[in-house]
Amino acid sequence: MSPELIIALLAATVQAGTPILYATLGEIISERAGVLNLGVEGIMALSSFAGFMACHLTGSAWLGLAVGGLAGALLAGLHGVVCQVFLGNQVVSGLALTIFGVGLCNFLGTPYIGQSTDGFHQFAVPLLADIPLLGAIFFRQDALVYLSYLAPVAVWFLLWRTSFGLGLRAAGEMPDAASAAGRNPQRLRFSGVLLGGLLCGLGGAYLSLAHTHLWTTGLSGGRGWVAVALVIFAFWRPGRAVAGAYLFGGVMAFQLRLQASGTNVPSSLLLMLPYVLTIVVLVFSAARARSARKNGPTARNSAAPAALGVNIEPVG
Amino acid sequence: MRNSLDLHDPDIGPVDVLPLVRLAGVTKRFGHVVANDCISLSIMPGRIKALLGENGAGKSTLMAMLAGRFMPDEGHIEVAGKRMAFSSSRQAIAAGIGMVYQHFMLVEDMSVAENVLLGQEGGFVLDPKAMRATVAELAARFGLAIDPAARVGDLSMGERQRVEILKLLHRKSHVLIFDEPTAVLTPGETEALFEALRNMSAQGKAIVFISHKLEEVLSVADEIAVLRKGRIEGEFLASEVSSPADLARRMVGRDVLLTVEREPVEPGPLVLSVRNLSMQGAGGALLDDVSFDLRQGEVLGVLGVGGNGQQQLVETVCGLIRPESGQLDLLGHNWDKFYEHHDWDGALAWVPEDRSGLATCRALDLTDNLLLTTREGFSRGIWLDRARARKAAQEIVLAHNVQPGRIDLQAWQLSGGNLQKFVLGREMRRHPRLLVAEQPTQGLDIAATEAVWQLLLKARQSTGVLLVTGDLTEALLLSDRILVLYRGRVMGLFPASDKAQVERIGSMMAGLS
Amino acid sequence: MLLTLHKREEALGRGAPVVYLCALALSLCVCALMLALAGKPALGGLAVLFRGAFGQTHALLDALLKAIPIFLCSLGVALSFRMQIWNIGAEGQFALGAVGATWAALTFGGQPAVVLMPLMLLSALILGALWGLIPAWLRLRLGVNEIISSLMLNYVGILVLEYLVFGAWKDPLSFGFPMSPEFPPAAQLSRIWPGVLGKLHWGLLACPLAGVAYSVFLNRTRLGFELAACGEGERVARYARLPYGFLVLLVMGLGGALAGLAGSIETSATLGRLQPTLMVGYGYTAIVVAWLARLKPWPIAFTAFLLAALRVGVEAMQLELQIPAAFGQIMEGAILLCVLAGQFFLTYSVSLKRARPAAPKASPQPEEAQA
Repeated sequence: MSPELIIALLAATVQAGTPILYATLGEIISERAGVLNLGVEGIMALSSFAGFMACHLTGSAWLGLAVGGLAGALLAGLHGVVCQVFLGNQVVSGLALTIFGVGLCNFLGTPYIGQSTDGFHQFAVPLLADIPLLGAIFFRQDALVYLSYLAPVAVWFLLWRTSFGLGLRAAGEMPDAASAAGRNPQRLRFSGVLLGGLLCGLGGAYLSLAHTHLWTTGLSGGRGWVAVALVIFAFWRPGRAVAGAYLFGGVMAFQLRLQASGTNVPSSLLLMLPYVLTIVVLVFSAARARSARKNGPTARNSAAPAALGVNIEPVG
Repeated sequence: MRNSLDLHDPDIGPVDVLPLVRLAGVTKRFGHVVANDCISLSIMPGRIKALLGENGAGKSTLMAMLAGRFMPDEGHIEVAGKRMAFSSSRQAIAAGIGMVYQHFMLVEDMSVAENVLLGQEGGFVLDPKAMRATVAELAARFGLAIDPAARVGDLSMGERQRVEILKLLHRKSHVLIFDEPTAVLTPGETEALFEALRNMSAQGKAIVFISHKLEEVLSVADEIAVLRKGRIEGEFLASEVSSPADLARRMVGRDVLLTVEREPVEPGPLVLSVRNLSMQGAGGALLDDVSFDLRQGEVLGVLGVGGNGQQQLVETVCGLIRPESGQLDLLGHNWDKFYEHHDWDGALAWVPEDRSGLATCRALDLTDNLLLTTREGFSRGIWLDRARARKAAQEIVLAHNVQPGRIDLQAWQLSGGNLQKFVLGREMRRHPRLLVAEQPTQGLDIAATEAVWQLLLKARQSTGVLLVTGDLTEALLLSDRILVLYRGRVMGLFPASDKAQVERIGSMMAGLS
Repeated sequence: MLLTLHKREEALGRGAPVVYLCALALSLCVCALMLALAGKPALGGLAVLFRGAFGQTHALLDALLKAIPIFLCSLGVALSFRMQIWNIGAEGQFALGAVGATWAALTFGGQPAVVLMPLMLLSALILGALWGLIPAWLRLRLGVNEIISSLMLNYVGILVLEYLVFGAWKDPLSFGFPMSPEFPPAAQLSRIWPGVLGKLHWGLLACPLAGVAYSVFLNRTRLGFELAACGEGERVARYARLPYGFLVLLVMGLGGALAGLAGSIETSATLGRLQPTLMVGYGYTAIVVAWLARLKPWPIAFTAFLLAALRVGVEAMQLELQIPAAFGQIMEGAILLCVLAGQFFLTYSVSLKRARPAAPKASPQPEEAQA
């Protein structure tokens, strides 16, 4: 492969990894707050349509993005209501949310299949774009990619350097402690779910607004599930999520290039790659977490938040 | 108010000082159960008030209302003469009422500083360095030794309790409520805690000390209120209490058998032999060269503060962990051979500490909970004989007076004492020759505790009992011999009649010899 | 006014159906809203749905036909949900079952039905079970989350099916369409009574057999009890020396086999060949059914039929109102979400309580009583 091809592939990797990164960060916030949201796939699907539709109607890409994020938060809020208010099983509610969201995307989106939208376009960042290699890979992208460079830092800051994040993590580790300290764990969890849904929604909107510019259903194509798996891979830390998201971005970009190059590897086998890779990544993370636990107490932060998936029972 | 006339005057203490907190006729019901019945109490600054009562007497409910977790159904709470209606813990905290819960309300995966300042961050953006400095300074001021940067999950129970106290001090709480604070402490740590309590009370804080342990209450409290069945049975100055037995009578409503009848039993064959058992964990040795024998007809009390290797010892004996180094023989077979064909009947039974969640399944009914460990006895081939199991469950319920006597109830619907009696009844149906009982009376009221003790002593006739407990009284009452564990090491192994050694148990538990 | 909650001490008896009906009504409202949002007649659409689903005999027969794979997959899913193992891989296991049956039908095509049918069933059961065992093994051996791994295997399973019908098994006479050659007659399950019962086929028999086996297994056998007890968690399983690992493998294997069975029946009876249109999401509907029916066999049968009927109704909506097929998914998702929320009222009772008046009540205080 020529250097130009490799650079193009890496740039495509960043682009393909970006929606997964947004979704993974969103799910990290939600799970740090103690709420397992398996509805990411549904959220991304619905948001990809909502973003497309808003942009299609108004012509504003940013408005499309906002509507996509809002749709994500709204759908996640539904999960929040079912699990936080009505104490529904988080696993089942998340699955239902995926079924609902994907269905909604297909139902509302079918009439618009094939229509294109303007959306976000790539532009070179002055100075930075001229850095050899890195410039071409990282700084000739669209605005949402640039935003995604800041997102992990922002999420880290929010979770570890603000009082909101402290309370949120307490609600995910031990809601009773948060409550005894005068914080409202239900409310914290709900905000975590909404915020997480918002980020997942941004990831979904990216798909239609920046990745394809062409509306078709099924854009999410399992990326939501990849994000859920990556949260485990990332040990619930934003920094590690970047590595995971770009790994998947790379595989997806590679697979697309290979298909486009007219290789004689059947496309079904190529399409399997990300899904098989997800399982491989899970195996790898499980093995790492296991060895980390053996190596002493400080490595325990590879474990899930202690109260993840456990609903807060009302008192009285 | 049917009981108001026989109440003592709740306003003990100097007349000219206003109570910090006053409860006036507070009543709280859960369904049909009246947890607190028209309770009136005054909590004074600079005094340590003990709230003495059995488990289930309503102490925790009362304090949860003070801490803003529940609202009273009737009556009200006054803080500094002003009527308050707390609808959240935040409001109680704001009113200066703080609580150290029995199960620490700490986030293990966060640092000491983060835990102390949770809910009190003082701004949206956090500055970890400043947070650590704040906590270090506070700890120094009250003489509580702690590393603000340490992860709470890595701390000992005594240290964790200090974190809880720091949380309250940082909030400038005037009233500090301690719910069974000594349950997880070594005798040494308990003494340090009492010192801290006296210290805080001398600085004008009002301390409420909830306990069911008479000696502790008498040694630390200025005033004692006795709670029974949700009502105040009486209130005294500690200096006025002439006989602890009288206090105990008021607490339980009848005379307590402070000793249980122990028929001497002729020791039988060896049922458990442990030789040089060791186990390594991430942070050092979990079990360190443990050796002892247990014979049929004898109770061996394994005494220690929680987390000193008891769990590993029990799980090894009960077949969950294969011994790494050392030798473990059960009923004359080595570990591998014994657990290769483990018999459900006539071998080993285990009454774990966690009654609802390990020994029983909360969502299963009593019949199914019986089947949990005895299912082999009720099966024919692949089939299960539920009718026979129902009959057997009914028998246990009758024989051990398991209230409310219905076998179709699910485990969570039974009280701890009744569930424990059921578990013991179930395990005895397995005719064990070795019985492992972990903290068998923790959290039980006195009546249930007595029943469980009697059952264990009766079991001793046909089995060897390995009694793992943190309760000195229980160990001394039941055991023939006592083994003290500290950091996985045997600190002492001696007959319970050895007065000199018994005297030194406290320091052994603290690892001092 | 204050809302107060109480945990129910007794199970909610007759109130339970009311809760379910309310949840169902709420989800229908959501669906009507979605119809209106898409610019379709809301109430008219629902009318078409119900007429299409329950209006005619052939619609009911069609629903029964569709209920067969849903019911079988759902039993398998319910088995693992019982012990809190979240097998959501029924869709992939279904695909692998179809692949297995097709392999046998294409390989042993010349054999008579008595030989061929069992061979097809057997290979479907084995492949389905193996597909279910992968996440089970990964979980036991390495602690890999079975939710995601079983779901990923859905995608992979469908792609395996596509790979085969696009490649090795492609019918040379299909004009480029991805499908296998049609099965020989001996490999096709025959219809029960074509003139009267429509397309209903003998695969229906598998349902009562599997249902009875499921219920006998859970209620009468020791292993069934051990399975239920394992649902309380791995710690209890260790304490009671329950064969947890074996049971995980068993439920995932059995679940996979049941889904595989459903897959083989569908290929053999309704399509008569392998093609991607086989995959219509029965495996996901099965999860909805299992949870709605609270994992009990009779309710599973009833709910499977109900959701199958809704699928038939959605087909009528597609024809009459050009409503996308995805409307069915919306309904399934909405029903599950509403019921999930509604189940709260089965464990808790909610009562309205008037807030206390600001003025203190005129009850005598203890101090006053003493004075």
